[in-house]
Amino acid sequence: MTLFVALFSHYRRHPLQLLALALMIVLATTLWTGVSNLTERARASLAQSERAVAGQQQLVRVDGQAVSVRDFAVLRRQGLCVMPWLEVRRPAPAGRVIGVDPFAGGCFGDQVPGQAGGDALIGEPFLDIGDAAALVDQDNPGTLSLLVPVTVLPAELPPGYELKDFSLGPATGELGESFLLNLDALGVLVLLITALLVRSVYQMGRVQRRESFALLARFGVPPGRVQRLLLMEMVVLAALCVLPGIWLGRWLAAVLGGGFGQALEGLFDTPLYAVEGGGFALPAVVMVTMVLVACFTDQRLWAKLPGVSAAGPSLWLAMLFLGVVMVGVTPGLTWLFTGIALVFVAVGVLTPRLLSASAQWWSDRAGGLVLWQRRELAVLFRRLALPVVALQFAVAMVLAVQALVTTFEDTFEAWLAQRLEAEFYVEVPDAARAADGVRYLASRTELGDWHLVQRGTARLSAAAGSGAPVEVDLFAIAPIGPLVTGWTLQTSVADAWSKLAAGEGVMVNEQLARREGLKPGDSLGLTVGGQAREFAILGVYADYGRPAGEILAAGQRLPQAFRPQFESLSMNPGDVTMTEIEQGLTEVWNAGKLTVRDNRSIQALASGVFDQTFLLTRAITVLTLVLAGTSLLMMGWVFFSSRAWYYRLLSV
Amino acid sequence: MMGFPGSLRRAALVLCLALSACSESPPSSGFAGLDEQADAGEFAQPAPGDRLRFPEDFGPHPRHRIEWWYLTANLTTDQGEPLGLQWTQFRQALVARDADAPAPAANRWPMEAGWMAHAAVSFREQHGFAEKLARGDIGQAGATAEPFNVWLDDWHLQALEEGQWRLQVNGEGWSYDLRLTVQREPVAHGDHGFSAKSASGEGSMYFSLVNLAIAGEVTLNGEVHRVSGLGWFDREWSSQFLKAGQQGWDWFALHLDGGYKLMAFRLREDEGAFVSGSWINANGDVESLGAGDLLLEPAGWQTSQHGRVPAQWRLRIPPHEVDLLIEAPAGDYWNNGLFPYWESPVSVTGSHGGVGYMELTGYGG
Repeated sequence: MTLFVALFSHYRRHPLQLLALALMIVLATTLWTGVSNLTERARASLAQSERAVAGQQQLVRVDGQAVSVRDFAVLRRQGLCVMPWLEVRRPAPAGRVIGVDPFAGGCFGDQVPGQAGGDALIGEPFLDIGDAAALVDQDNPGTLSLLVPVTVLPAELPPGYELKDFSLGPATGELGESFLLNLDALGVLVLLITALLVRSVYQMGRVQRRESFALLARFGVPPGRVQRLLLMEMVVLAALCVLPGIWLGRWLAAVLGGGFGQALEGLFDTPLYAVEGGGFALPAVVMVTMVLVACFTDQRLWAKLPGVSAAGPSLWLAMLFLGVVMVGVTPGLTWLFTGIALVFVAVGVLTPRLLSASAQWWSDRAGGLVLWQRRELAVLFRRLALPVVALQFAVAMVLAVQALVTTFEDTFEAWLAQRLEAEFYVEVPDAARAADGVRYLASRTELGDWHLVQRGTARLSAAAGSGAPVEVDLFAIAPIGPLVTGWTLQTSVADAWSKLAAGEGVMVNEQLARREGLKPGDSLGLTVGGQAREFAILGVYADYGRPAGEILAAGQRLPQAFRPQFESLSMNPGDVTMTEIEQGLTEVWNAGKLTVRDNRSIQALASGVFDQTFLLTRAITVLTLVLAGTSLLMMGWVFFSSRAWYYRLLSV
Repeated sequence: MMGFPGSLRRAALVLCLALSACSESPPSSGFAGLDEQADAGEFAQPAPGDRLRFPEDFGPHPRHRIEWWYLTANLTTDQGEPLGLQWTQFRQALVARDADAPAPAANRWPMEAGWMAHAAVSFREQHGFAEKLARGDIGQAGATAEPFNVWLDDWHLQALEEGQWRLQVNGEGWSYDLRLTVQREPVAHGDHGFSAKSASGEGSMYFSLVNLAIAGEVTLNGEVHRVSGLGWFDREWSSQFLKAGQQGWDWFALHLDGGYKLMAFRLREDEGAFVSGSWINANGDVESLGAGDLLLEPAGWQTSQHGRVPAQWRLRIPPHEVDLLIEAPAGDYWNNGLFPYWESPVSVTGSHGGVGYMELTGYGG
């Protein structure tokens, strides 16, 4: 114990070192736990939703209407094994929940949806369907699906229904995964930077403690025992700092979870389910291991590795070259990130050597005091190699995060601008006729731009794409005007918007065009309202990553049988007040209170949410940059302090 | 149901909530929670003096907590082999509701009542059983008095025309489609339909159609059997069926030579038992039997998959010089649903020959 106290007395003499170590560990644990907690939740949500519906099929109505509880009862009474699945989308952080009817699943046998390890449909996100239905309201929309076992064949279905693959949303491809990989990479960088900083501070302390170690050796304390005590010292310090760090990290994840969930859902249609994040064990083990590895990995071991020391800079140059090549040619995200990591490590190792060699080369061209000064600088570069690399990484991370956030932000804002082009939109009440509202708006000549949006579904015929019929969102807009003609078209036929307005074809979104290999001029087979028709593709519009297939058509040119699931009027009020328009529409529809949305405030809210989402990444970058900078300054200060006697000699 | 453990457990928990309101261990807390104490302020409780009303009482009683429609049949195949059938549908309410009150909106997937249907077929010492569950008020399960119809999914017992019913059930590897002819007026048990279940007054409203003529088809493993025979249909409802501490019941419905029918049950209590029954002659005249008139005791025990069960019984009614030995055929007749119980056809020898059905709950496990 006395020995431990004697060793630890170093930190009484240098409390700043202890504080720096503790702060680094707490901060790194907070940031890493926060990031990994959020990404773990998002991945678990994704995996859960995929697992829950893997290989399942559902029944849909041939007439395109949404299925209801009545359909469920009718089908069950006809002897068909059908299970209701009510998905309620709640704003994050509450997350989506799925209502299931445990009474109805018995006929699925061991093919029950969502089953994994025998504990299916228990606990979040699964609820009794009655509880889930109670959550459904305007802000928490619900979608009912009727699942059937995969053994059910089309021939067994009653008339009016057909089978369709069941999925909770369109495939997101690598979009969502790239978002999460970015966060993963940030988490790893935080670990790396912290490891370098912790090592530099700890190694500095060890240099200062050399005399103490020598003294202890003279008193007969074996070096192995001293080493064990130092290890224990760091284990205790790491454990004490990791626990509050984890708690702070989880708090950070909880605070930022809402915005994160909304961004995931808004950008990638990836729902953030109501699932728990990770526990305390993994962050604790990772952080303590990181601290111990950073502090106690012997550099001589590295030097002894066969080939490494002999290879010298050529090894790192080869690694740099390999990394650059991988970044340039690899098609997959994982290899791309691996390539970037190789570039980072190689540049990190080479930079201090390069700086030192430059100083050496520079000093060789001088004499006297200048020679001494430049040699000192070379020594300084070698001593500060680790914090320099950490700072370098931190700066790179700031740039990368800024690029990431800017890219996402641009996409998000462009997407918002596309979807919220008009200043206001008014939902057409269920019992009202949209045409009455259209007539009213047409009669108000002082009104700005406006159009009616009817949203429904259509099916691509098999001939158009990969074989199986594909369901897509259909947006019917009338009249085609400035609110939509401002959309960015990636490719189009000449005078595409006029032709769309004239009903000469439809437009498709980018994701659908990519998936189905569609281009302007192609003919597209579409079943709308039960009627199959051919439409010319007039253009492909940017969808900013929304993976659902979309068709944009002129409303007045669609078959009469088309039954929209949702209708709204988008408008810029122009010289009329919104209150007046609302009053007029209320009268023509003979409705109660209308649902009017102010798109500008929605846009402001969405931007706020976006900023909140990336607050985490910005926090990581700023804090690590501050950490790296402070560490570098501290190291420099210690370096010059330790050599102060040397400088004093010069003055004498 | 095999291979469906997660959902089944949840369903069991929900049904346990639905059918017994709180019991954590369904089989041991009394069959289907019948011994749970009803909230007198919420549910109506049958009492002496209550009367039956037809045809309304063939339909549901939403002010009462529990009720069932129950049919057993002792049939013979066209090859002359005996075949037994059972079909039961339970309704268990969580919320009491007046008969004329509107039902909750179906699109809210209400859980004010749960339904459970059981069906079994016993043939050549084999016993097949199936169970279905549903929530009420969404159309998947229900009952109406006029036209008479009781259904859960595609299982249903429904009136076709005056005095003619049809029962259709599909189990795994077996099914039946039967025509039932109602041959006598309903028989009211106990005091004009109030059937006491304990000396302290708990009881139910209870009536039976004791002489159904049945004909139809039973399909077993793809083989179709034409069948005919006798059936027994029970309607019973209550809110507090059993007294706390009653461990289970032994129930018998017998078709005896000479057109006699006999319903008898014994509710086992911590000390002794509560015994009751109805002796019905060929004209349909009913005589209620109490402990002094009806002696009912096990005469032989059988080891089964869930432990020992009394598969043989001696039943005596001294005033009518009835002395019967009731025996289940060889085999294991457990209905292995959420609440396992024994349900077997029986043969009767002694002072009268006959056939019938026996239901035993609270044994095993």
